[in-house]
Amino acid sequence: MKRFSLLIVLLLIVLVAATACGGGGATSDTGPIKIGGIFDFSGPTSGPGTPYGQGIQAYVEWKNANGGIAGRQVDLISQDYAYKVSTAEQLYSQYVGEGIVAFQGWGTGDTEALRGKIADDKIPFMSASYSINLAKIDEAPYNFLVGTTYSDQMVIALQWIKDQGGKKVAILHHDSPFGQSPVPDGEAYAKANGIETLTIAMPGGATDLTPELSQVESFGAEYIIIQNVASPAALAVRNAKDLGMTAQFVCLNWCADESLVELAGDAAEGVVGTLPFTPPSVDVPGDDDVRAFVASKGEDLNKLGLHYTQGWVTMEVMAAGIEKVIKDGKPVTGENIRAALETISNFDTGGVTAPITFTPQSHRGNKALKLFQVQNGKWEAISDYIESSIE
Amino acid sequence: MESGIFFSDYAKDMTLRRTPAQKIRLALAIVFAVAVPWFASNYQLTLLNQIGIAAIGAIGLNILVGFTGQISLGQGAFMAVGAYTSGLLAKNMGIPFWVAVPIASFVTAGVGAFFGIPSLRLKGLYLAIATLAAQQIIQWVITHWDFVTGGVDALVIPAPTLFGMRVNGEFRFYWIILFCLVLTIIFTVNIFRSKVGRAFIAIRDQDIAAEVMGVNLFQYKLLAFATSSFFVGMAGALTAHYRTIISWERFTIETSILYLAMIIIGGLGSVSGSVYGAAFMVLLPALLNNFGRAMHGTIPAFDQIIPFLQQGMFGIVIILFLILEPEGLVKIWRNIKDYFRLWPFSY
Repeated sequence: MKRFSLLIVLLLIVLVAATACGGGGATSDTGPIKIGGIFDFSGPTSGPGTPYGQGIQAYVEWKNANGGIAGRQVDLISQDYAYKVSTAEQLYSQYVGEGIVAFQGWGTGDTEALRGKIADDKIPFMSASYSINLAKIDEAPYNFLVGTTYSDQMVIALQWIKDQGGKKVAILHHDSPFGQSPVPDGEAYAKANGIETLTIAMPGGATDLTPELSQVESFGAEYIIIQNVASPAALAVRNAKDLGMTAQFVCLNWCADESLVELAGDAAEGVVGTLPFTPPSVDVPGDDDVRAFVASKGEDLNKLGLHYTQGWVTMEVMAAGIEKVIKDGKPVTGENIRAALETISNFDTGGVTAPITFTPQSHRGNKALKLFQVQNGKWEAISDYIESSIE
Repeated sequence: MESGIFFSDYAKDMTLRRTPAQKIRLALAIVFAVAVPWFASNYQLTLLNQIGIAAIGAIGLNILVGFTGQISLGQGAFMAVGAYTSGLLAKNMGIPFWVAVPIASFVTAGVGAFFGIPSLRLKGLYLAIATLAAQQIIQWVITHWDFVTGGVDALVIPAPTLFGMRVNGEFRFYWIILFCLVLTIIFTVNIFRSKVGRAFIAIRDQDIAAEVMGVNLFQYKLLAFATSSFFVGMAGALTAHYRTIISWERFTIETSILYLAMIIIGGLGSVSGSVYGAAFMVLLPALLNNFGRAMHGTIPAFDQIIPFLQQGMFGIVIILFLILEPEGLVKIWRNIKDYFRLWPFSY
């Protein structure tokens, strides 16, 4: 009997605990405003996911310590979901039962999987997935994009390449919805502007990208655009250096971060990035609060990196919408927050992003960003705001 | 005082519910299944619905792995076939979901049988690799056949309607999942009282002996793949209509392994074991999450490592199972029943 009595106890705990949780009431008029959140602290995307989630949590802590949103405290109910879609669905449904009025997601998987549910439940949703598909109001009426979409980033990169006189561009992308998202828009732009393109899907888990890069070399690419995360991009940059390639690398936002510099070392020197969020290595007024906050915790924003600021600003924009609802004297509901967010026009993030504007017709926060380049191991701005030509 | 369950004729031996206690438990289970959604919160219904779909898929896989002894790593891909077939039928041709789901199940059965052809020549690890190929091939087709599947973009499916009523939300969909699960259980429990089921088990126990006894191996192995894939496809199709949005990322090799874990923990070659395993694998992460939440803030230094503890716990519980009770949850349940039935003389 002893052999399995332990297991019985375990099982009973599972049943009791799983059924005991849930329930709870809706947000009242004076109590804390409940916001749900799921972050990747332990899954495959925990590299950038951890600072992003911490940035969101930090903003809430800072805001609450400074009087909350228009006098009301924020209760951020958040957890690690390890990038598992089924866990994301469970947590979402649990939080909705507890009366959340808005939601902070993370990746492509959870954002896509929840976009139907959030429309049914009327829960405004922000995440770090910037696929242009999420900006289609009729398909994703409650998704808001704070970052410049991947398609816009791609087109901005190509606009810059065109200005530099580039004629041949290779596009290397992650073989997933995330990776392929900007490819059609980029190819269309290139074709219309006389730029020849070669598109290659980067094999997942590759340890050597020399075959792909040889293909790029024989195509004669002058520029290589990468839409992938930092570690495969770093691999490509290193392999290219070993091959003696001189093509200019341009990374879209998920590979252009501090870890690319760390992983690729010297090879990262000169890589250009389309960054919707200004990295902390460049001092902008919008970073003052977050810099002071992390300093009070004995940490350094430059070490936490740009994904920390990204999370902070995403939460800041959501808070701006909620603040408007409260100031207008309306009850804080998902529907009202959506309506309030749609009135946000030219919201100034102090230079962290291009000004954010939402309208009932478009939830694309902005269409412009600055280009940055790795110089002496740091990301430095090399352009002013460039606006994408996609309507 | 009884010392065991004995029968004096074959008809009684073949009955599914042999003792009064079994009949009472079945009645309780039915009452529970019908009553619980009226009291459960949305979150609890989400868990129940996830369990229901997982149970259908796990029963399907168990027909193949547990009963017929043919290992499959293609579970995720077969679910994807069901999900995409049903989703595309509903989206592009406006076919109601209650027609689309059975069609998708049959299509998956066909695809499953096709990828089961190597099973005639291959066994064990070699068959595992062949089904792994099926997983990769199907996944590749879904992500690259843009014209039909929409490629890597998520497939948005209109919310299902039944008798003019929109079946959205956890509560309404619960009944659909329950209906499908009950059908699956009744069918599967009965198939193993028939010639076909006994042929499957004979193949598992010793395929050469089975052939000598007149079981056509090729025919029955393919039939096992088809029957298994039918239910796996049904689970996939239900996922599609339940979530109204699917992408290939939901049906990767990880899904295949998760389902294998379900049937190993629940009990190989057992229908009820598949259900227990599905419930366990859905509830365990939910429990760990809630535990992590309860712990949040109690020891500040602890907060950072809670996510990793959760992941670690998941592995530990599975290892504990394999060491302490390799025959799974269903065996534990049987031990409990025997203990009380034979109490106080439990041997």
